[in-house]
Amino acid sequence: MSATPDTPATETDTVDTDAAVTDTDTVENDTVETDSLQEWADALVDELGALCSTVEFDTVRIHVDPARWVETINQARKKLELFSWLSAIDWSKDVEVGDTVEDVDALEERFEVLCRLSSVENADGAIFVAVIDKENPSIDSLMPTIGGAEWHEREAHEMFGIDFVGNTNLAPLYLPDDFIGNPLLKSYPLLSREVKPWPGDVDVEPMPEEPEVTATDDVESDEDGEES
Amino acid sequence: MNFWLELIIKLVAILGFVLTGALVVIYAELKAGSHMQGRIGPYYAGGRWGWAQPLADGLKFLQKEDLSPIGADRTVYGFAPYVVMMSTLAVFVVIPFGPDMVGRDLDLGIYFILAISSLSVLGILMAGWSSANKYSLMGGLRAAAQLIAYELPLVLAAAAVVVQAGTMSMNGIVAAQSETWFTVAGIDIAMPFLLKGQIISFIIFMIAVVAELSRIPFDMPIAESELTMGYLTEYSGIRFTMFFLGEYASMIAFSAIAATLFLGGYAAPGVPDNLANLVGPGVMLLKIALIVFVIIWIRWTWPRLREDQLQRLAWFWLIPIALANIGVIAIFKVVF
Amino acid sequence: MTDLGMIHRSESAVSIELQTPDMTLNIGPQHPSTHGVLRLIAKVAGERVTDVEPVIGYMHRGYEKLSEVRTYAQITTLVNRIDWVAGFASEVPFIAGVEKLMDVEVPPRAQYVRMILTELARIASHLVFMSSYPLELGATTPLMYALREREYILELIEEVTGGRFHPNFNRVGGVKPVYGGGSMTKKWSLDLPEGFLQRARDAMDRMEQICDDIDTLVSDNELIKMRTVGVGVIPRDKALEYGLTGPNLRASGVAYDLRKVENLLPYDEIDFDIAVRTGGDCYDRYVIRIEEVRQSSRIVRQAVDQIPSGPLQTKVPRVLKAPRGQVYSRGENPKGEFGYYIVSEGARMPYRLKIRSTSFSNLSILKWVLQDALLPDLVAIMGSLDFVLGDVDR
Repeated sequence: MSATPDTPATETDTVDTDAAVTDTDTVENDTVETDSLQEWADALVDELGALCSTVEFDTVRIHVDPARWVETINQARKKLELFSWLSAIDWSKDVEVGDTVEDVDALEERFEVLCRLSSVENADGAIFVAVIDKENPSIDSLMPTIGGAEWHEREAHEMFGIDFVGNTNLAPLYLPDDFIGNPLLKSYPLLSREVKPWPGDVDVEPMPEEPEVTATDDVESDEDGEES
Repeated sequence: MNFWLELIIKLVAILGFVLTGALVVIYAELKAGSHMQGRIGPYYAGGRWGWAQPLADGLKFLQKEDLSPIGADRTVYGFAPYVVMMSTLAVFVVIPFGPDMVGRDLDLGIYFILAISSLSVLGILMAGWSSANKYSLMGGLRAAAQLIAYELPLVLAAAAVVVQAGTMSMNGIVAAQSETWFTVAGIDIAMPFLLKGQIISFIIFMIAVVAELSRIPFDMPIAESELTMGYLTEYSGIRFTMFFLGEYASMIAFSAIAATLFLGGYAAPGVPDNLANLVGPGVMLLKIALIVFVIIWIRWTWPRLREDQLQRLAWFWLIPIALANIGVIAIFKVVF
Repeated sequence: MTDLGMIHRSESAVSIELQTPDMTLNIGPQHPSTHGVLRLIAKVAGERVTDVEPVIGYMHRGYEKLSEVRTYAQITTLVNRIDWVAGFASEVPFIAGVEKLMDVEVPPRAQYVRMILTELARIASHLVFMSSYPLELGATTPLMYALREREYILELIEEVTGGRFHPNFNRVGGVKPVYGGGSMTKKWSLDLPEGFLQRARDAMDRMEQICDDIDTLVSDNELIKMRTVGVGVIPRDKALEYGLTGPNLRASGVAYDLRKVENLLPYDEIDFDIAVRTGGDCYDRYVIRIEEVRQSSRIVRQAVDQIPSGPLQTKVPRVLKAPRGQVYSRGENPKGEFGYYIVSEGARMPYRLKIRSTSFSNLSILKWVLQDALLPDLVAIMGSLDFVLGDVDR
């Protein structure tokens, strides 16, 4: 889907300074691809009666009304047959672990339930997004129509505390039965890190003997003075 | 000779032969299996070729704690391996290694063997039931179903030989194979039953033997990947060793029976009668080794069958074919 | 004395009385055929499995949570531990996703190195399957044959990356420098080890040979066919419903290979076929992997011939910060679609990383496909799905 790096190789006659040309090429290609993807996504939104779509980094997200979640997904599966995965994102202001979002104040606290469907004929695929509120997180289950959703919903249930109405088997999948809490919530601390900070928390991975990485061009011609 | 002295000598000889034989077969299996898999196998134990590996294994097993599960029926659990071992040892009583090199030449030799070897089913059922383990139970039941199903083709294949030989005595069967069958250019040619029209019986017998031994492709009672170790799951220490030795001892026993029934037993071409007792054991061991090797070979080549396929093979194929085979042989026996 | 009607009635009464409750058989988490720590709570009526409940999570390491406190460079260390049988193949989609986020271009030579190593990892993974699957059916010898050949592949991977199982070789913008590679005079070099390409070609000869050997020993074996043909059939619609991918899906007649549809790596410059079979049974799932090894070996041969010269790394900022955005990056792991949904909020660490691991989806069909299977078939079917517990539990 993205522009592959072989673009400069195919147009070698015009290449002088690699970096510049490559950059512009990539950008051009990206926009072209993104436009066609956006059209495809918009068509899908119309077809399914979804809310809206976003396309970034070749990733199509289709926003779906949570009330029509099961219906939309089932309709979409006629075209995108492969049920790939289902999960959720916790958008939260209260972040115990990791970094917060860029503008915390403007953030609207919510869960996003994601479900990815793919076509098995080509590279088409979309992530369906339903936004549900954090107070009473619940959404209809896909399990009755998509058997494979069972485990994914169980995982999302135990990790985020989202209730999937209609899933008959929401027992914990990974965690022990007596586990309390929903570990993938942003407000859930990493307890061992409370005791001792992560020792590997450094920014930079220094390269051996040479901090600035410049790669050699050839296998054989690597004698040119790197033994400083 | 004194009856008791003779008895003791024979017992010790049989026991010694079976135990050393089992160790040798275990070593052969380790080594042959390794070479078939492109490995070296035992290498260090004993200094050369790892010859002492089975001994070392045995000593290790003896040192291990003899565990029994809490829920186990201790008496039955403890007794089971000895039942298996006993039924195997008893078979050797009637196996002839020479005209006089036989524990006891019973008139009903083959009948005795088939009867006594079936007793090992009891031991295995006891082990499976008393272990208080579901895997053991399933293994025991599988073993019972399997051994009963394959007892029939085994008996029928042996019966075909008995029909042709006209005797049930093991020595008599060997003698029947040493008889001159025909004469070419003044040389009397004797043929083992295998070459005298018993090829189908032999194949059926060998399939049944592999099944009786619970070895691949019929090792469902043990089936590591399904039942962990089947009826052996809970056993350790000396009792496991008993089962283990018993398995290899009965491999020798059945190979010896097959050698006697189909390959002419201790008889070999060109051996004068007065040397038969001397050469006989060597000939017999050679034939046993041949069959043991085939059984080992099968084990390291093939996968395992499924329980229902195993039963289907026995009831739908082996038993009808064996019955038809007896009929054909009986007709030939009467006609010629 | 006997009344036939009586006998008949009493027999039926006995048969009602003998309606015994199903036995619950606890298979695992320590069991020879569960490849680690999978547990199956099976209800069995004799040999027949009436119901089975898989229990996973014994190896849950919380990588999704952990990734929220790890920088992008550190996460590669984690992700190659998800599917450790093909560690390299699970690194690539992640690093490609980060590169897409950061708009970093990878030099073509590095792309080719990634492709070669991914295919080597695929061969290694399939060899594990080719060795362990006959073992589940009771054949012990293919194990040794295939694992022996796998050593040659692992040696190649080790030679380049320094690790047999956990290469941790991908960096944003290329691959990491190789210890002792390139020339003998230097300790570090930025290229492949000398003679590596030729050794890769030699190893491919061996791989094609072992495929033929395994075909003779296993695939054409009548007993193997008895055990696997028609066993555990997964039809196309069920496979898609449960999210099966990779060889498991292709054995059900769907020619879906991410190497053809995605372009994380320059597979479009390579000529290879997608192995497809239509039966959807254990046998097809088994032989399709042998065919894939042959195709992978074709890919490696071509890639080794075509590999362009050039650097293995581009310049990237010292501190890796991905811009804000969300990307789903997926690649063809030996077991199927391996994907990472990276939610970046412009920091050094992802805000959320969803790992779409292959075996998790592949295994989720277990409950459906094991209905009414025989106990030996349970093992055969489970093995044919080719899962790795680290990949299931993440």
